[in-house]
Amino acid sequence: MKHRMLYILILAALILSACGGAPSGANGATDEPSVVHVGWAGSPDSLNPGLAILTESYTIFDLVYDSMYNLNLDGSFTLNLADSVDRSDDGLVYTFKIKDGIKWHDGKPLTAEDVSFSYNLYKDTPEYPYLNGYYTPYFSSIESTEKNEVVLTLTEAIPNLESQLVFLYIIPKHIWENENKVEFENTAMIGSGPFKMAEYVQNEFVRLTANKEHFATPPKVDEVIFQTFENQDALVQAIKTGQMDMITEMPNTAVASLKTVENVEVVVGAPFSPGVSDIIFNQTEEENCPTPEEGGICTGHPALRDRNVRLAMSHATDKQKLIDVVLLGLGTPGLTLIPDGLGVWYNDSLKDYEFDVAQANQILDDAGYLDTDGDKIRELPDGSRPLTFRLNWPSDSISAPRTAELLSEMWGEIGITLEMQAVDPDALTSQCCPAFDFDIMLWGWASDPDPSALLYVYTSEAIPTGSSETGYSNPVYDDLYAKQQIELDFEARKAIVWEMQKIVHEDVVYIIPFYEQATQAYRTDRFTGWITNQAKVELPDSSSLVLIEPVK
Amino acid sequence: MNRTRALIKKITWSIFTILFVIVLNFFLFRVLPGDPARAGIRDPRLKKEAVEMLRVRFGLDKQVINCFESLNPIKVGSCTVNPLDTQFFIYARNLLQGELGISYHTNRPVADVLAERLWNTVLLIGAGQILSIIIGVVFGVFAAWKARTSIDYVAVITSLMAWSLPTFWLAIILLFWGSNNGLPLAGKASPGSSALPLLQQWVDIARHMILPTLTYTIVYMGEYTLIMRSSLMDVLSEDYILTAKAKGLSTFQILKDHALKNAMLPLVTVIAINLGFTVAGAIQIEAVIFLARAGQRDF
Repeated sequence: MKHRMLYILILAALILSACGGAPSGANGATDEPSVVHVGWAGSPDSLNPGLAILTESYTIFDLVYDSMYNLNLDGSFTLNLADSVDRSDDGLVYTFKIKDGIKWHDGKPLTAEDVSFSYNLYKDTPEYPYLNGYYTPYFSSIESTEKNEVVLTLTEAIPNLESQLVFLYIIPKHIWENENKVEFENTAMIGSGPFKMAEYVQNEFVRLTANKEHFATPPKVDEVIFQTFENQDALVQAIKTGQMDMITEMPNTAVASLKTVENVEVVVGAPFSPGVSDIIFNQTEEENCPTPEEGGICTGHPALRDRNVRLAMSHATDKQKLIDVVLLGLGTPGLTLIPDGLGVWYNDSLKDYEFDVAQANQILDDAGYLDTDGDKIRELPDGSRPLTFRLNWPSDSISAPRTAELLSEMWGEIGITLEMQAVDPDALTSQCCPAFDFDIMLWGWASDPDPSALLYVYTSEAIPTGSSETGYSNPVYDDLYAKQQIELDFEARKAIVWEMQKIVHEDVVYIIPFYEQATQAYRTDRFTGWITNQAKVELPDSSSLVLIEPVK
Repeated sequence: MNRTRALIKKITWSIFTILFVIVLNFFLFRVLPGDPARAGIRDPRLKKEAVEMLRVRFGLDKQVINCFESLNPIKVGSCTVNPLDTQFFIYARNLLQGELGISYHTNRPVADVLAERLWNTVLLIGAGQILSIIIGVVFGVFAAWKARTSIDYVAVITSLMAWSLPTFWLAIILLFWGSNNGLPLAGKASPGSSALPLLQQWVDIARHMILPTLTYTIVYMGEYTLIMRSSLMDVLSEDYILTAKAKGLSTFQILKDHALKNAMLPLVTVIAINLGFTVAGAIQIEAVIFLARAGQRDF
């Protein structure tokens, strides 16, 4: 009797697990279309190009829409929607000759009128702050002509029109003119790009079908499905077992083991939107502190305003160790906010401060920061305050706690102690800028293809607006920033941009511990033709998805 | 008569509770640091006017409530503003009209976003609760009836383990197991399944529900088994059970007619409390993650 009961228990457990083990109708694909299953851990925040912020939205826009220029994975631009572009001698007027015969997914023709409609909409809708704040401020007027041409007139001659246009996707006038621009969710998403929107459930999946009639790059596969996963371990598991054909992200801890899996290829390289991790020093001087109305509090430790202290901390920072421990080696040492992933804009001639603890100690000794009371912590030259800094980081960061631990150890070697605390990202923002109510922070940026946005972060103008995180102010730098904004000659602009990086590197405005690398993976037994030999790694880019075809 | 009065009392109390929750929630988010427009400030692409525009769009340019412009940092404002034109009253009025506003994160109506997620949650909790109650009660009854035998020990140890397992850990372990058995690891339904016949759609959803439901069931099953066991053991030691045995009733009859009915009471209480907590808990977790996402920039 006793035993029988035990059997029943075991049986119940077995039944329970068997319920899970019986997949119904999982296989049985015979003459199915070729479907690429892409796994990612995100989901678009909005399909309205004016409102979207997340990169996942832009990935979908890139596939479903066309824009005037394509951004290639080597960082260059190619003209896409137009046959030719003509620039006036003063650099103010651009005339694009739109290709004939391009069709929207609903069969209607795409003309210059759609292009001018889109640009005017982005420029004139105040609710699209991310687009008109940064991409269209120099647009004066956009008109279409009867010869299927678009005439774009600028208020100032700017050197980087390609990067200004690349994220301004062309949307169909015949649909958008009847919609409320702010409330329109655009889930049907009629575009002209190589893929058509078929089905979308936010936070679950995006299903796209191929637009085999695309004028430039008709895809070879029939369908692409982007599936959202709740966590990255599930993503890794899904590509291991073949549920997914490609994944766009994974934890660094999974890279080594995934590399050994048969039929899976891991790709590592600069991300499409290169990322920067930064160690932010609050160096706001009293005269630069934003007014109380602007939100300025400015409680930074005075020692951090001294370049010698920042320089010593730079020498005491072992970046390679940070990369090895925090990123498991998947990163490159950083110099300034302009990451190596930006290609030509990255000043690779700069020499980083050598990791040398003795030299770091020497710098602090010479500058008068001595440990006068023998507690192993240095004091200010006047002896009034120890070099004890608050170090904060956003609590949702995975890498920051480890970085903080290591920094505490490294800087301890030169007589600096840290009071470490993770802070809710919202709270950190309000401590950060323009309040400047902190000493040191760990945070980061994602970069545009053009360096201008991140160069702006160092300017004095950015201090009261909240974009500047350091309160750094240097009139020479500010002048150069204004100059590169309007320098039309590529080489000359590049020289200025390089010079600016030299200045902020010499002033040790930040310590940039590393530039993180992107890690993606695809299954070799499903599709072939993925582009992996370019400067940037971005498998879900249209350049790969239109080329791949099923393995025979 | 008495019943009507009790009902009125209950309703009045629940109205007060809801009002309290509304007020508390509103001010809680104002006292906590950070506002959505400020989170946008950290983007160098956003100009000052754009941030101002965002504030206007989400109504954050208005005073929080009379005499206070903001609560973090505390900023005293005008006390003569029309109270109906303050953030609090606009919020309260919209809420009463069922208008939950627009999500900072997705720019979609919050009600739509919640409705989508609520359906998943209800499906998961419904299936999970039913399964865990059935299994928990069966295991608990066996364990109590066969107290201090190997069956009891197995049931108690298994339940204790299941109950004390960290949910996320259990979920990851089941995920590995599920992926090797061809179970879907993400989503509520397969892309494209909405074109299938209804029955196949349901099968598809069921397949997607297996892993989360299993996790939920295992976690709650343990609790129910333990409660069922201990309350049934209490009841079984009562004199009237001995009387029932002496009358020659069968085990099944004793359990069904005499013991279980009385022993169910604590379990029913716990189930009711759990239901309330899990629905609220799931929504809260989703809402918190949601807000955090709207605020964060990188990483």
